Amino acid sequence: MSDPMIKAPFMSSVAKPLIGLALAATLAGCIELNAPDRPIEINLNIAISQEVVVRLAQDVRELRETNPGAF
Amino acid sequence: MKGPMKFFLAAAAALTAVAGGASYTAAAMQARTAAELRASHLAGEQFDGYLGVVGEAPGDVRARVNSINITRRAAYTDVAGRRRVKIEDVGAAMACEIFATSILPGQYYMLPDGIWRQRLGQAPVPRPAYCV
Repeated sequence: MSDPMIKAPFMSSVAKPLIGLALAATLAGCIELNAPDRPIEINLNIAISQEVVVRLAQDVRELRETNPGAF
Repeated sequence: MKGPMKFFLAAAAALTAVAGGASYTAAAMQARTAAELRASHLAGEQFDGYLGVVGEAPGDVRARVNSINITRRAAYTDVAGRRRVKIEDVGAAMACEIFATSILPGQYYMLPDGIWRQRLGQAPVPRPAYCV
């Protein structure tokens, strides 16, 4: 009796997962098209004290002066 | 640019302007600095010191917002190192400053509740509790 798997060596146990991986990788590229519009950086755990805000006030103003396009 | 290509690009731009909910004016498409992005109403200032995209926006607007945020984070990191505070603290302090001075009427801002609000009229923008 002939085992069909022997006649098709490219369908080995290594190739099948690889083909599955290639398919998944191709399909994975489609998922990005409708990505939800979430902010990239958002920190909900800000626990700064007013004392630190006052202390940083001058540095923050200087940042705005030296990086006018970014702030 | 060849004739047909020019036509298709113009048609695509017109379709985008009609189909989109926001009005993607030429000025909005050109917005590059933080001030211009705020003025385009496509981006707003967040309580954590970063720009955020307001609702749907073209990919290149998001790319510019990301680029500005990367610059901001580098600046915050630098100050945080010098002053021995958390990077997030510098961002929060910057947000206090921006909220107090730079959100013009019609522009968007986000408080810690995560909701985008639009500044209407001349009433000052409400600031997070930690601002002085």
